[in-house]
Amino acid sequence: MRKFTIVLCYELKEYFTNRLFMGLTVLLAVLGAALLCLPRFVDMSGFTGVKVVGEGEDASDADQEEQELFLYLDQAGVVKPEVLARFFPESQWQEAADEAQLRAAVEAQEAEAGFVVTGATQYEYYVFNKAMRDSNAAAFEQAMKQFYRMDVCAASGWNLEEITAMYDVPVTATEVVLNKDTESNYWYSYVLIIIVFMLIVYYGQMIAVSVTNEKSNRAIEVLVTSTSSNSLLFGKVIAGAIGGVFQMGVVLGAVLLSYQINRAQWGGQLDMFLHIPGEVLLAFAFFGLGGYLFYAFLYGAMGALVSKTEDISKSVSGLMIVIMAVYFFSLMQLNNVDGEIIKVLSFLPVSSYSTMFARIAMGTVSAWEIVVSFLILAGSIVGAGVLGAKIYRMGTLRYGNPIKITTILKDMKKKD
Amino acid sequence: MKLEVKEIRKNFGEKEVLHGVSFAVESGKALGLLGRNGAGKTTTIRILMDVFHANSGEILLDGRKFMPSRHQIGYLPEERGLYPKRTVMDQMIYLACLRGMKPAEAKESAGKWLDRLEVKEYAPRKLETLSKGNQQKVQLAATLVCNPEIVILDEPFSGLDPVNSQILKDVVGELIRDNHLVIFSSHQMSYVEEFCDQIAVIDHGEVVMSGELKEIRKEYGRNRLMLAAENYTLDALAEKTEREWNAFVKVSGRKKEFLILELKEGTDRRRFMEQLVKSDVEVEKFGGYEPSLNDIFVSKVGEEA
Repeated sequence: MRKFTIVLCYELKEYFTNRLFMGLTVLLAVLGAALLCLPRFVDMSGFTGVKVVGEGEDASDADQEEQELFLYLDQAGVVKPEVLARFFPESQWQEAADEAQLRAAVEAQEAEAGFVVTGATQYEYYVFNKAMRDSNAAAFEQAMKQFYRMDVCAASGWNLEEITAMYDVPVTATEVVLNKDTESNYWYSYVLIIIVFMLIVYYGQMIAVSVTNEKSNRAIEVLVTSTSSNSLLFGKVIAGAIGGVFQMGVVLGAVLLSYQINRAQWGGQLDMFLHIPGEVLLAFAFFGLGGYLFYAFLYGAMGALVSKTEDISKSVSGLMIVIMAVYFFSLMQLNNVDGEIIKVLSFLPVSSYSTMFARIAMGTVSAWEIVVSFLILAGSIVGAGVLGAKIYRMGTLRYGNPIKITTILKDMKKKD
Repeated sequence: MKLEVKEIRKNFGEKEVLHGVSFAVESGKALGLLGRNGAGKTTTIRILMDVFHANSGEILLDGRKFMPSRHQIGYLPEERGLYPKRTVMDQMIYLACLRGMKPAEAKESAGKWLDRLEVKEYAPRKLETLSKGNQQKVQLAATLVCNPEIVILDEPFSGLDPVNSQILKDVVGELIRDNHLVIFSSHQMSYVEEFCDQIAVIDHGEVVMSGELKEIRKEYGRNRLMLAAENYTLDALAEKTEREWNAFVKVSGRKKEFLILELKEGTDRRRFMEQLVKSDVEVEKFGGYEPSLNDIFVSKVGEEA
């Protein structure tokens, strides 16, 4: 245990005295926090719905400047500007003299768009660049329907307000979610799974490089004759895991804190990603980090199979396939967290980090399932560590071409 | 303290690379492991250090099973290397702590050995910024930082310039005088001759000769003579020897200035001298030949080291 601590401290020092590592951590944290402070200084009301007005500027002037201009040409004599204003509250409407003027204004991008009403239920829509989510035509269509209803009701002597009230009678619903609200938990579960995936792939690679470096700089023989390979690999992997969690934790912490501070300015728009409940974070801490540790040991073992850092990608390719498959499958199954497949996957150590976590965050899962799944994961972490240490020890003096995992497992079996 | 290696065998796959290697060495003495490349020296050392496991045989320290992890051993492997991106002092302390020292003690010892090996000024520098020679010295300091009772050096002189070799020779000499048990392998016979009281020559995985160097030399030199003449070139003298004195001696080698002759079994040295005196040879040099380790090695292993 003492030697493990010595290795752990030495390896941790490598991370925490590394200027690049610390600099990158600070830079990412500051950048993330700064981005979330943006609505305080930049008007992002289009997204956040919260207006930020500069000092000394009149709000109504600002509104006037910001309002988008739309043109219309009423050839059918049905358009009612007050109705348009209701359907397009943030916009300014002007009537064009003729079609050519309307078209020219749109082409010159002086007007956002133009509508030529050619009949009681017909119109032409002019736009310069049509955006993917262009809702102007749909809104105008609603306005056209309203013009029509108003004209028909007026002609028939009916009361449009009464008819509308009858059709749109408000229904009051009180929702009581007895377990999980999948919809509201979906996005941060999605984000947290991506974070674990990034942790595994990025920091796993760093751990593999660190192990391979000891072979390539030939320090490994001195090390394995000074202490046990268990102490060496566990110290190295856990230090790498702590380094990764520290970096990710600082960045994520800065982002979450900054969002909490600026939540009002964001109008709660990022709640689905960043307003994560405590119990979900707890499940993430156990399963997400457990999975990360499990894979970190396997990455360490894969690093021991090669003696040149450029060969690491070959050595970890099999592991990468498993990680990618689990990642995509987990994301696909997020829409069906109570399905049978995800239930099975939530007990496998290769996939429980994301699937059990998703089930806890979004589905129905009993306490015994969580405990059993975590025990399997914890046992697998230790197993991966011990197996990794054996591979590390056996790969110690095998320089040259990468060693196949099957070869080393066969050698281990022979030895046993 | 007495370290005994008994009948060690080692297989890599189907191939047996060590066929029953045995030797012994005591504290205050140095054992030189000699052998050609691939003879099995490094494998033997790695088995001693528990890097590899032997298929059979045993290693005893004072009659008990030798467990490297339970002793302070300074090991300089053939494949050398430390952490290039870490400072010299940092890794010295790390290695000393891994071998059981406390950090303060490790720092003091690291300072002492770096000073002794004349590289103390590099303690705060990253290893990669040092010259190759100084890196070698740091590696040796890292080997000795735990103040080991047993020192195992695999080809310690390779890559060292004459000045650094001299420093290393002095340090190894001090270790022997301080009653440490030293084992080292080398191709360079002169270094082995200089320190080693005992040698074990390994060839093709077997110990072909072992024991006290003084005894081996005496035994080997017992029937050997050196001869040079003023009126014969070495070639002519060798030819004459083969032609006229082949009943008494045979030419077993030659140096730059004389021939080495081996007395045939049952031949008296005096009878050969009588023949020599009677001949027309004007003797320039004649006497018992004390063989160098290289001569002994070549005669046993059959190839120049």
